[in-house]
Amino acid sequence: MPLRPAYALAALAALSASARADSLPVHAVIDQHVDAAITAAGVSPAPPADDATLVRRLTLDLVGRIPTPAEADAFVTSADPDKRAKLVDRLLASPGFVRHQAAQFEAMLAPEGGRRSGALGDYLRTALAAGKSWDRVYRDLLLPDDTDATMKGAADFLKARVVDADRLTNDVSVSFFGVNVSCAQCHDHPLVKDWTQDHFYGMKAFFARTYDAGGTVAERGFGQVKYKAHKGSEKVAGMMFLTGSKLSDATAREMTKDEQKAEKELIDRAKKEKKAPPRPAFSARAKLVEVSLADGNADFFARSIANRMWHRFFGSGLVNPLDQMHSENPPSHPELLAWLADDTAEHGYDLKRLVRGIVMSKTYGRGSRYPTEATPDRKLFAVAQLKPFTPLQLATSLKIAAADPAQFEGKKAADVEKQIEQLEAAGRGFAALIAQPTDNFQVGVGEALLFSNGDRVAKEFLTDGPGTVLAKAKALTDPKAAVALLVRTAYGRAPTAAESAALVAYVERRGTRPADAYRQVLWALVAGPEFRFVY
Amino acid sequence: MPTPTPESFRPSADLSRPVINLSVALGDRPGRAFFGCSDFKVYEADLAAAKVEFTELHAAHGSYVTGVAFAAGSVVSGAYDGKLVWWDAAARRVVRTVDAHAKWVRKVIASPDGTLIASVADDMVCKLWNARTGAVVKELRGHAAQTPTHFPSMLYGVCFSPDGRKLATCDKVGKVVVWDTASGNQVGTVESPGMYTWDAVQRLHSIGGARSVAFSPDGRYLAVGGIGKIGNIDHLEGKARVEVFTVADGKSHWVWESDKYKGLMNRLAFAPDGSWLLAAGGAGEGHFEFLDVAAKRAKRQDKLTMHTHDFAHSADWSTVVYAGHNRVVVHKTA
Amino acid sequence: MLPKFFPGSAAHRVHRRGFLGAAAAAGVAADMTGLSVLGSPALAAELRRTQKRVILLFLAGGASQLETFDPKPGAPTGGPFRSIQTDVPGVRISELMPKLATRMKDVCLVRGLNTRIGDHGGGAKLMMRGRRDEANLRYPDLGAVVAREMGKPDSQVPDYVTFYTQTEGRGMTPGDSGFLGARYAPMELTTNNTPEFIRRLDSINDADHRERAELRDLLGRDFVQGRTSDTLGSHAEAYGRVRGIMGSERLFDVSQESQATRDKYGPTQFGQQALIARRLVEAGVPFVRVARAWWDSHGQNFETHQEMVPELDHVMSTLLDDLKDRGLRDDVMVVTLSEFGRTPNINASLGRDHFASAWSMSMTGAGAKGGAVWGRTDARGQTVTHEEVNAANLFATIYAALGISPHKNYYVGSRPIPLVDPGAEPIAALIK
Repeated sequence: MPLRPAYALAALAALSASARADSLPVHAVIDQHVDAAITAAGVSPAPPADDATLVRRLTLDLVGRIPTPAEADAFVTSADPDKRAKLVDRLLASPGFVRHQAAQFEAMLAPEGGRRSGALGDYLRTALAAGKSWDRVYRDLLLPDDTDATMKGAADFLKARVVDADRLTNDVSVSFFGVNVSCAQCHDHPLVKDWTQDHFYGMKAFFARTYDAGGTVAERGFGQVKYKAHKGSEKVAGMMFLTGSKLSDATAREMTKDEQKAEKELIDRAKKEKKAPPRPAFSARAKLVEVSLADGNADFFARSIANRMWHRFFGSGLVNPLDQMHSENPPSHPELLAWLADDTAEHGYDLKRLVRGIVMSKTYGRGSRYPTEATPDRKLFAVAQLKPFTPLQLATSLKIAAADPAQFEGKKAADVEKQIEQLEAAGRGFAALIAQPTDNFQVGVGEALLFSNGDRVAKEFLTDGPGTVLAKAKALTDPKAAVALLVRTAYGRAPTAAESAALVAYVERRGTRPADAYRQVLWALVAGPEFRFVY
Repeated sequence: MPTPTPESFRPSADLSRPVINLSVALGDRPGRAFFGCSDFKVYEADLAAAKVEFTELHAAHGSYVTGVAFAAGSVVSGAYDGKLVWWDAAARRVVRTVDAHAKWVRKVIASPDGTLIASVADDMVCKLWNARTGAVVKELRGHAAQTPTHFPSMLYGVCFSPDGRKLATCDKVGKVVVWDTASGNQVGTVESPGMYTWDAVQRLHSIGGARSVAFSPDGRYLAVGGIGKIGNIDHLEGKARVEVFTVADGKSHWVWESDKYKGLMNRLAFAPDGSWLLAAGGAGEGHFEFLDVAAKRAKRQDKLTMHTHDFAHSADWSTVVYAGHNRVVVHKTA
Repeated sequence: MLPKFFPGSAAHRVHRRGFLGAAAAAGVAADMTGLSVLGSPALAAELRRTQKRVILLFLAGGASQLETFDPKPGAPTGGPFRSIQTDVPGVRISELMPKLATRMKDVCLVRGLNTRIGDHGGGAKLMMRGRRDEANLRYPDLGAVVAREMGKPDSQVPDYVTFYTQTEGRGMTPGDSGFLGARYAPMELTTNNTPEFIRRLDSINDADHRERAELRDLLGRDFVQGRTSDTLGSHAEAYGRVRGIMGSERLFDVSQESQATRDKYGPTQFGQQALIARRLVEAGVPFVRVARAWWDSHGQNFETHQEMVPELDHVMSTLLDDLKDRGLRDDVMVVTLSEFGRTPNINASLGRDHFASAWSMSMTGAGAKGGAVWGRTDARGQTVTHEEVNAANLFATIYAALGISPHKNYYVGSRPIPLVDPGAEPIAALIK
């Protein structure tokens, strides 16, 4: 049963007529489709975000932190008409982009609540730094090669799941194809026609031969998946990709005694040499990689990554939830999603191209404030959405907000970059105390208590020793200048008149204790909503 | 009569039973054995017969029959109902039921001369009974009712010295008390806390305990059987363990932990010449070991087909009867 | 301590939704046929007076029904412990629970649970929620629902507290508010009996602590103007609750109780945490779970239960008496529950394994009918022969006995989500 959703067929048909790859830049295509839907809905989009907001948003979204005051000022005061493109290109080229991307993908791929060894993160950083495309990363994760140094740590994805083939099947489907078929394990999905037991077990057949060979991941050359159909008898599941393309293959059977013996010998030898056993002549997993990326089938792969990257920068996907990409849950902009998927595929799954297109769009550059109460439907992307910080974004940004701006001035860009990297590393411990945001994320009272009464926040971010912004504030004789300094490092802007008055009054009420006063002001700034969200 | 060597014991019978055989005693005739079982009944079997049958002697108990002894012409049994029952072998009927203990009886043994019965129970008392009349002779109190973490403790094991002049009792937390039989006075204690695992962090309860004791014939050693430290106390996954003390100074002479088997050592008995100590027990599976206490090494370690709760042996050790989970196994040296 | 937004502003709208607890996640809204606390102070007072609360004694690891509430002495599967007569004619429980035996006329017993899931994680999730999660919908558990239904919007005490000190199984059963969001997420007490970060640091005085928080609120006011976000509301709410929760620190301090009371509960951790639970519900906390781990006696089942059941007997009896003495019997329900029971079959290590086909739970107080017994198992305890109960019907009964309609709907987006699985009904015989 073919699985290509009807909406995708229509969109592709439309595409063949319209201009495809290369004639329009990505950002223009985005704006074209989004604007058309906004106009059709009869609503007005939010005005564009101002420069201070934009530099903050781009720095957070691309390199995972707030800009330093110097970076923010440079952008705001520049008169260069191309400053946005230049900022974007600079950030995309920086090591910070690699680290932030790697962290985002690590959160996406790491097992829920599982203890992460860190090896997967190492792999992602190496791979993204080397410019590996998304299909290459996918291939590395599903077919890790211990002998290839560039793949070090890639095996972790399989290792963490090898004991549970059902979980492995579903995690791959969710992460790479946007499809959560776990319901279809026990019966045809009650709500989604597309997903039947055949689909779940058809996918599982690609993974059922993978097993733990005493610490390394190995794969049998033969195997068969049987399952009990919800109503009725036992069935044999042949390998079938989500599109319905079945694969017949001679290895879909149980092993003979001789084959088992030969395999055992291979494993024992590999154990002795402390290596993974060699891949079998027919590898079901390799077949999946091949089939899923083949023309005609690659829509799932391409659409899923396009949707995920959209979600990452806009706060919600063109399809929501991210793992429910099926015909009963169509995208808000079907043609746009199809175009982005196709464009990404045609450019070798180079994510930088897609990301650049997204962040250069007018859509992305809209403000997050809406002038009236009647906010347009989120699906129109007429207003920028607030995105809660990830734990690493929060920790690193706190470090930057707490630092004397002079720390980042008068230095070579490479040195500042190194400094930032060190701040990130130093903040990891605190980051572990903050929850990773999910869709419909709620900040718990535990976080508020941590900030209000936790020793760690005080010790790591609110100290006033040398090199800190609090030391500098203390040394200023004019409270107005001091509070403006703190607002600048925390929020990247000048305080409003009302804010300045309130903050100065707060400080003056603590006349004999300026150090305490400034510490508390900085706390109030970084514990506030303006610091907690990408806006 | 020369003491058989460990190697000379060979399996002779392996009998399937629908119940858990918790205790065993040999009777006055070769092959005659009595079993206390999980169906609350006491059985007799003639193990010398061509076809062994288990005959029910009585169902006077209200729970698991964890101890059985043969003395003064009676089969004396104790159970989780707190009672001791005397079944007269000549009259072939129950002649006496005593409300012996306030809590669950764990073991019942006869003194070497057959005049006394000793019972231990989770009321933490060891009682000595006149084997013939059933009158209580002594009540020995020396074990704490609660563990150090305020939970109820258990009194698992008891044994007489071969000359009957001493007794030893052992409990959940690994405390062993040595008594003078005649006076009922404590003559010493030893501690084998390695038998007891209290998990404060993961599961907040305990497991293990000192399950069995035995005096060496020369009176030099006191062996304590149990289990080693356990990581996951949901299972009996610690090493089978025996600790041997020198009676004179109460010091630990040897701690033996099996490199082959896990589980509880439920029963111990020394060879008449003291050249080995037989231990048996199990976890999910069963095993037995012959240990050379003086030389501090295991002479033989082998499987039994079931978790073994008890064993009994003929005076000449030509026959050993192992009682356990759904099976009775007989070893012979002849 | 709540920020004051002027009516008419978008911020006010966000805050009001948060205030009702409704905007906690993706536009969850209460069934608007229900009462609005904001509507009437008299109504609010009435609700406060009749607010039902729950203490869940979660016997983590799977306590054996055969060694507690459904003994089968003499059966091949019955084990060595006998049964004793209780103060309810015809009802006998394990000899390991002599104290509860004289209190069973207040206890409502369910013996016919058949819940089918025999692994710790799946079983715990099922028994904490009364249902299984869907692939893309996480249900709130019992604690979150009770917190939502019984908690006060401006609560100065936590709504949902859970004690789980032992490490075994802890990761499998965290409290979970599902789609109700972080507002109803539990306060998890693991290493200590006092919540973390509940006490003001020495480096700041109380006036500064308060004014610093007000400054934070003030600075945020402009920011929220014209901005809508589900998460934004939760951020404000979280900070809004800090001072109140700090004020409830003494509730967690057992030294506030007389030595006599503390001695009554006994020296074990379970007893002390049950005492804290009583203090919490007395102060209005709607739901407290005290997890007593770890009952998973695959080996030595009888030794383990001989050790642990008397503690349960003592602590639960003490707690029931204490609640009664303090006039809380009608308002506080004490529930005992596990993720499943244990096999009638006894394995070679004298253990029992996981068993979800026929097991027991109990509930005492509030609307639970004391002395009622529902469900019968066969002579060996292997199957339920009468009045079988699944997780959904159990939860329908619990909610009904608390005065919560199990057919009430929450909404995720526009999708109505009833509190219990459709078709599940409360068992009338178990409700007063």
